[in-house]
Amino acid sequence: MKQWYYIILAGLAGAVIVFAPLPIRVEAPAARIFRVEASRFAYSPAVLTVNPGDTVTIELVSMDVVHGLYVDGYGASVTADPGQTARLTFTADKPGSFRFRCNITCGALHPFMIGKLQVGKNTLLWRAIGLTLLAAFSGVVLTPHPVSIKVA
Amino acid sequence: MRFDLTRFPVVKFLLKNRWPQLIIFILMLAGFLYAIMAGYIGTPVGNNNFGIVFVWIAWWAILILVAVPFFGRGWCAVCPIPMPGEWIQRGAILEPPSRKPRWLSLRWPNKFRNIWMQNLTFTLVALFSAVILTTPKVTAVVLTVMLFLAVGMSVVFERRTFCRYLCPVSGFIGLYAQTAPIELRVKEKQVCITCDGKPCYNGASTLRQAYGGASPSTGSAAGYGCPWDVFPGGLTKNTYCGLCMECLRTCPNDNIAVNLRPFAADLAQPSRKMDEAFKAFIMLGAAMVYAGVLLGPWGTLKAAAYSVGTGAWFGYVAAFLALIFGLLPALFLLAVKVGQGISKSNVPARHSFTAFATVLIPLGLMFWVGFSLSFVLTNASYILIALSDPFGWGWNLFGTAAVTWHPFLTATLVPLQILALLGGLLWSARTALKVSREVKVSSVPVVVFATLATLIMLGLLL
Amino acid sequence: MKRSEMLGRLLVIAGVLIVLSVPFAVHNYEGQGSIEIHGRMAETGGWSPSSIQAQAGVPLHLRLTSDDVMHGFAIGQSDVPAVDIAPGKMTDLTLTFDKPGKYTYYCTRWCGPNHWRMRGTIEVSGGSSDAPQPLSPPLYVTLNLNIDAPLPAPVTPVGRPSARRGAAFAAMLTPSYLTPDYYHAHSPAQAYLDLRADPTLSSLSDPSVWDLVAYLWRSNSTPDGLAEGQRLFAQNCAACHGETGGGNGVFAASVNAQTGKFPVNFTDPASMLGVSPALLQGKILRGGMGTGMPYWGPIFENETIWSIIGYLYTFQFDEEQK
Repeated sequence: MKQWYYIILAGLAGAVIVFAPLPIRVEAPAARIFRVEASRFAYSPAVLTVNPGDTVTIELVSMDVVHGLYVDGYGASVTADPGQTARLTFTADKPGSFRFRCNITCGALHPFMIGKLQVGKNTLLWRAIGLTLLAAFSGVVLTPHPVSIKVA
Repeated sequence: MRFDLTRFPVVKFLLKNRWPQLIIFILMLAGFLYAIMAGYIGTPVGNNNFGIVFVWIAWWAILILVAVPFFGRGWCAVCPIPMPGEWIQRGAILEPPSRKPRWLSLRWPNKFRNIWMQNLTFTLVALFSAVILTTPKVTAVVLTVMLFLAVGMSVVFERRTFCRYLCPVSGFIGLYAQTAPIELRVKEKQVCITCDGKPCYNGASTLRQAYGGASPSTGSAAGYGCPWDVFPGGLTKNTYCGLCMECLRTCPNDNIAVNLRPFAADLAQPSRKMDEAFKAFIMLGAAMVYAGVLLGPWGTLKAAAYSVGTGAWFGYVAAFLALIFGLLPALFLLAVKVGQGISKSNVPARHSFTAFATVLIPLGLMFWVGFSLSFVLTNASYILIALSDPFGWGWNLFGTAAVTWHPFLTATLVPLQILALLGGLLWSARTALKVSREVKVSSVPVVVFATLATLIMLGLLL
Repeated sequence: MKRSEMLGRLLVIAGVLIVLSVPFAVHNYEGQGSIEIHGRMAETGGWSPSSIQAQAGVPLHLRLTSDDVMHGFAIGQSDVPAVDIAPGKMTDLTLTFDKPGKYTYYCTRWCGPNHWRMRGTIEVSGGSSDAPQPLSPPLYVTLNLNIDAPLPAPVTPVGRPSARRGAAFAAMLTPSYLTPDYYHAHSPAQAYLDLRADPTLSSLSDPSVWDLVAYLWRSNSTPDGLAEGQRLFAQNCAACHGETGGGNGVFAASVNAQTGKFPVNFTDPASMLGVSPALLQGKILRGGMGTGMPYWGPIFENETIWSIIGYLYTFQFDEEQK
């Protein structure tokens, strides 16, 4: 009997974790410019942080060969030759964590030339962490245990 | 709860008759040789080479996302690598042996009758993977070596010793096959006990001896002994059965069943073997390293992993080995010991250690699913390109050579990864509970270990 | 042996043979009469092959691919448009040369610090029996300039001279200053000294004389020429010399590491105003003698080089109306 109570509770907790709006401070959108150097096989800086709604301009500077920069989730991309800085401007209206990657074959490790764009807080990760802890707790508490453990 | 699929005559026919399997073998062998050839003579640009794309993206995706979770050793059932060697060993493609073995047929030495060699071969591939996965010629060499090894071993040793004891892929497929909803077992143990000669293991020649030379009334006389060196009558777990169906063909008493069953039924029987426990650590650690090095934004790590022979690479190797053979097992041992402390258990730590290592099987499988989803969906468009222009020679066989690279399903990728990892953790916790009941040791610290690993993996993937 | 076994063996062998033969069958059929050129970064081989024979008037079929990064292909001193050579992809190109001679093909997408070394030659034989036109020596030879000696400007302006301001005094210039010959043979500093010494211009202030020099320089370029120069600079020079000409391009450090010298800083008045267009032409044509400066002689026509030179001086002089 107790088990069913717990399952319902866990389900509710899970729903809260997934859907509850988080008290995130909303920053006013700004225009941000990032100078990103691309070389085989990394971006520098590799992690860019912006606020939701920001107008993001990435100045792609290729340091050795022709590189590209494609932002997952936004589909925006740009290509730069060494000596010719290219600019990509887009509005970061989708919050979350997005990888950006090279889309011009630039050598062996090209498929792994990756950076990260963080738009706002990574709430999806936080919720996933919450769910993970809930899952772990459920896995331990849900069914009879050979050793008695006090369940609150 | 088991449902025998061979009760359907169509299924039974398809599995017993050698032709359907042979056709699949021929197709797989052709694809395998095509991939090797592309690696040697095609463009050195990995993402446009059939060898790289179809081995490390297409085949890998099907293996880790479909074949292993749903069919256990299903890939082993159709893998072409051992077949040329096996055909040479048997001296036939379809016919059964009619006389004694024609090659050396040595018995694999006792010292190596475990999966430690496979732990070693997988670790080797993992340490060099940055180069293997991206260089067509290197992939071709690795596959060629596997082919030659398999043929060589078939000629020197009995049965499929390459598959059972050396193949790097076989090691983890076997471990993770325990989670699959399919199994091959005998229908009734009593039948096996009274069976004379055990032709399912010894081959059909013993069958003839048992029946005085005449063909038996049931079962096929066209049978070899189990190539995987497994006695079907004693099968309780999927780990070492390659689903080759030889026993199904050989059994004179129609006592072999291919059952549908609940997922992960084998995990209720925790293993006691240290080699399998370490395979679980190797796979868990490798998934985390791959997620960090290959999918992360840290260029120095990637450069270190790729620049084989340099100081940075040796540092990477040392860290990798320390993680999979040192840190992870040590932390896990700590968790087990704490659990024993909680339960005031007197059982030797090794006993609980190997039993609880079973918990890492569903966890590791889901880690690999999570990692592979990203890698595969990002690069799947290359499959279309490589299909039409396999060697990078400007062909357009199916009209898809001009597809521009673009990632697939980016919006659903992260939710899928989260679901996979959560599923893995829940599954592990359930498994930990079952193990805990058996060894009478608290599962809480082990679940904490699994949770921490999951949180790290989430952080690396998201 | 049973018939099924025969059939099984036949199918295995057939399957294997078919798969192994397909690439060769199709490849040969498609590759008839073409020359396949593989492009690699210069450090790992450059163009392979790097020299080709052809016949004048006979179409030359080329199949080009890159084995590593993005490259491009163009023929020097011709109007064949440049073609991108993408890694792992094959590009077909057919060229027909009317006149015999030695043509240079070169890479057009930066592929490392040694990108400019990625060149090959096409020897075209046969064709018309016209005597080859005698080549005139470049200006720096006829003017006997030592293009390797350092030439700091003896005098430099305060602030940036402006051609737009200088235009106001254009009417005061004697025509001899406005000839291409004068422009080619004199550095801006020399022109300043000449103009400063000219009694008809003594009423002008020093900055105004500099403005007049800027105007003089500008009058030897057209807006189209400057745009072309800017485009070519961005594509060919900026990687070393910097997008704003400061000698600080992405490969500047690499050049310095290899040769001990940085690429020239076009924004430095002391070095830039002391050199004449003829000297710059010499540098561009002949390259740097161990300084890492490429030689562009086989690649650019004279007119193209003058366009680039015209643009180079804009790092010193303000634009007219941009």
